[in-house]
Amino acid sequence: MSYYSFETQITPLTMVRRERMLPVPGDVLVRIGDRVEPTQVVARANLPGDFRIVPVARPLGVPTSQVERHMRVSLGDEVQRGQLIAKRGRLFAYTVKSPLDGMVTASGGGRVLIEASPTPFDLRAYIYGTVSNMIQHYGVIIETPGAVIQGVWGTGGESLGVLKCTAESPDEPLQAQAIDPTCHGSILVAGAGLDDAALDRAQELQVRGIVVGGLPPELISHVERLSFPIVVTEGIGTVPMATPIFRLLTTNDGREASINGQVQPRWGVVRPEIVIPLPAEMVPPAQTEPGVPLEIGTRVRAVRAPYMGAVGTVVALPPHARRIQTGARVHGAEVDLGQEAPVFVPLANLEILR
Amino acid sequence: MSEEQHLGSILLADCGTVMTKAVLLDQVAGQYRFVAQGEAPTTAEYPWSDVTAGIRQAVEQISQFTGRRFFDAGGDLISPETTSREGVDVFAATASASQPLQVVLGGLVRDLSVASAQRATASTYSIVKAILSGNSQDAELTEESRARTIRDAAPDVICIAGGTEGGAAGPVLKLVETAALACSLMEQGTRPRMLFAGNSRLRRQVVRIVDKRAELHVADNVRPTSTEENLHGAQAQLDALYVQGKMGQLPGISAVGGWSAASLTPTARAFSQLVQYLWHLGDQSAGVLGVDIGAANTTLVAVFDGQVFTTIRGDLGITFGGEQLVRRQGAEALTRWLPAAMSADEVRGVLINKEIRPTSIQQEPGELWLDQALTREAIRTTLRIAHPGWRPGTAQAYPDLLPLCDTIVVSGGTLAHTPRPGQVALIVLDALEPIGVSTLVLDAYGLAPALGNVATIKPMAAVETLDSGALVNLATVVAPVGQARRGDIVLKAKVTYDSGGAFGVDIAYGDLEVLPLPPGQQAVLELHPSRQFDVGLGGPGKAGKRRVSGGLVGLIIDARGRPLRLSGKADRRQSQMQQWLWDVGG
Repeated sequence: MSYYSFETQITPLTMVRRERMLPVPGDVLVRIGDRVEPTQVVARANLPGDFRIVPVARPLGVPTSQVERHMRVSLGDEVQRGQLIAKRGRLFAYTVKSPLDGMVTASGGGRVLIEASPTPFDLRAYIYGTVSNMIQHYGVIIETPGAVIQGVWGTGGESLGVLKCTAESPDEPLQAQAIDPTCHGSILVAGAGLDDAALDRAQELQVRGIVVGGLPPELISHVERLSFPIVVTEGIGTVPMATPIFRLLTTNDGREASINGQVQPRWGVVRPEIVIPLPAEMVPPAQTEPGVPLEIGTRVRAVRAPYMGAVGTVVALPPHARRIQTGARVHGAEVDLGQEAPVFVPLANLEILR
Repeated sequence: MSEEQHLGSILLADCGTVMTKAVLLDQVAGQYRFVAQGEAPTTAEYPWSDVTAGIRQAVEQISQFTGRRFFDAGGDLISPETTSREGVDVFAATASASQPLQVVLGGLVRDLSVASAQRATASTYSIVKAILSGNSQDAELTEESRARTIRDAAPDVICIAGGTEGGAAGPVLKLVETAALACSLMEQGTRPRMLFAGNSRLRRQVVRIVDKRAELHVADNVRPTSTEENLHGAQAQLDALYVQGKMGQLPGISAVGGWSAASLTPTARAFSQLVQYLWHLGDQSAGVLGVDIGAANTTLVAVFDGQVFTTIRGDLGITFGGEQLVRRQGAEALTRWLPAAMSADEVRGVLINKEIRPTSIQQEPGELWLDQALTREAIRTTLRIAHPGWRPGTAQAYPDLLPLCDTIVVSGGTLAHTPRPGQVALIVLDALEPIGVSTLVLDAYGLAPALGNVATIKPMAAVETLDSGALVNLATVVAPVGQARRGDIVLKAKVTYDSGGAFGVDIAYGDLEVLPLPPGQQAVLELHPSRQFDVGLGGPGKAGKRRVSGGLVGLIIDARGRPLRLSGKADRRQSQMQQWLWDVGG
């Protein structure tokens, strides 16, 4: 039976392409062929600003049908905060003033709508690279040779820093004492997990991000409040980082990397990632098409307990379902995880690493 | 020869949020039979971004079982079936993989018009992002904060109800004005549609207020009087908005449409068609319930007196929504159903790991129990929304309990793949708390949406496939209603097998008993409840006989009491849960 597993990218060198898109139409500020830096603004748009619904009839003490004659501004007029927008009477006049800078965009029912000036939104490049394509009014595609590691969970947005490995092995947790002033501005690479003290210390020293194998569940609320992104490569729990990921990160220790902690599991999947731009003349062909069936010899990662995060090679694909610990009978693969003997893992709990 | 008779083999696909199923029905010795099925991860998301890849992978499994080719070298579906038995005559698809409709609800009174609008919305795949009502807690909100709520929610639809026919006008129009204002604050092209399903005498004024600020749809008043509810018009409009605006956006779905003459159907609608069909087959004085729990949605369909009530929780399934449920209600909502201790942090960790690996399955018992706890809670949560909208008539023997149901059909990957049938039965008993005598039917092969869908294309194929055992009898359940002290005898039951032999049993209050009645066996069940207890045979103390069929679990007598009460002490509750699991062979 063919089984098409989900895939995670752990690629030492490829042509990384990232689409950078504005949420609303705007202006693209770079051109095809331009070299860009991660913090460079590549496109800009105006997002809708704040607004106020200002009652006019009631403060003036007039019926809604008479509001029009007391208005001092018209639809489309720009107004300043504190500017008179309606007035009735002369000596002891009733007045209404604008509560904000903006534009009068609607009126009716005895009130007016004032919309503040739009808020500018700057879209940054996120990675070092070259603009390879433009999407008119929306954004660009930037590409660079580099390494890519996809995580599975994360928090925070995008950041940039120098990779700094704090663990000797993938199963070593990140300790607070390992975070010293040299970590300032770095993206820390931890192994199996970390604790509150380590997170506090990282925050104190203004690190730019943390990459960790597993995140203990009791720390979820803590990491959601941090000012820097976290990328979890294996899952929630104290789980060693998958060896190929740890090796790839340690190989690139000291290099500048972009990190993104955003995660969206469906409706436009977004996975957290680390992108490490590399100077390379020759880049292997781009990633293969998805949908490669699982075969003997495929490098896989187990994604659920009790083997979560363990990486190995498929050594057999038994044709018949087998019973697992829960009592369910499922199709699976025998996987060499470097233990005494291959273990049986349900196909649903295997992921192809490429 | 009629058009229907020309149809031969039928291939059906169901694109779920996480898994895509394909089912082949064909004529064997002149009768339609379920031939084979395949299942593969849904490929609506990156890197595939094309649902046809998942369908092909699922169909490929059918090819491997049957040796039959369904796609040509160019990747197109071969249809009609060739003389060399390649391809199929009919292809049809259902889907629930699309993003649900995001809705903001507005109405005057939360328990009346808003509740009705909420039930209308729940009949399609939807998520209610915000509710604006005239109730005291909401009435203090300024127009500005209401408009802000709508703008921030960025819904697909603003559904406004309120005002009985000829009743309130001012507050409803004010709500419409606010909604229209909020629409005008959004960019053209991103503005939500507005559905007005309130006091119909206000329609002209509503049209004038909304003007060009939003695309306006109108439907019959969902609450024409304070005691009447009329959801059909609003449901149809919302369903159409979902099908056009959401299902139509599923990547690759246009190619699927090209393979089929039949239109793509929402999975819940197809499931609902099957439940209706089952109602027609059974004791029509009682109702039929259907529960379909998917990765991201829970669907509950009830049929009473031929009326169908469909309720969907578009934000709560077995994979997605559990973590949000724990954030809202606390981990206790799930841990109370576990036979062993699990900390709140562990619960959250397992739920997140499931969300980030949606196709994965539990390998350890603790994670399995948590999955089953979530299944119970998802069904209970959906039932709480659905039940007030049902019109069960005489089937509603007790106001706060489930109406009498002749058949309860349960569907969904999690239930179908549950390791032991007793576990499925216990999930259903805990979640729905049926009363009287009911037959539990399991959609073990995941055919329910496919059969509901095929019933509209070729009804005979659905009938014959069902007759051939497409759905599996899980158990017959007897649940007496009444109050007693634990250990008091509340029911005497006698089972007389058609194959010969009989035995009697006394059931004590608090017991959960399983009596042997294997699949294929028939028996006559005699029930003699004590004076205070009702087994659905006409009232408390009423005795009677029922013919019952065997099932995977057998005959379950659930005398744990209604409503079900769990111990307040964690260790005692866990022992209780473990005991019940053992009782049903779970």
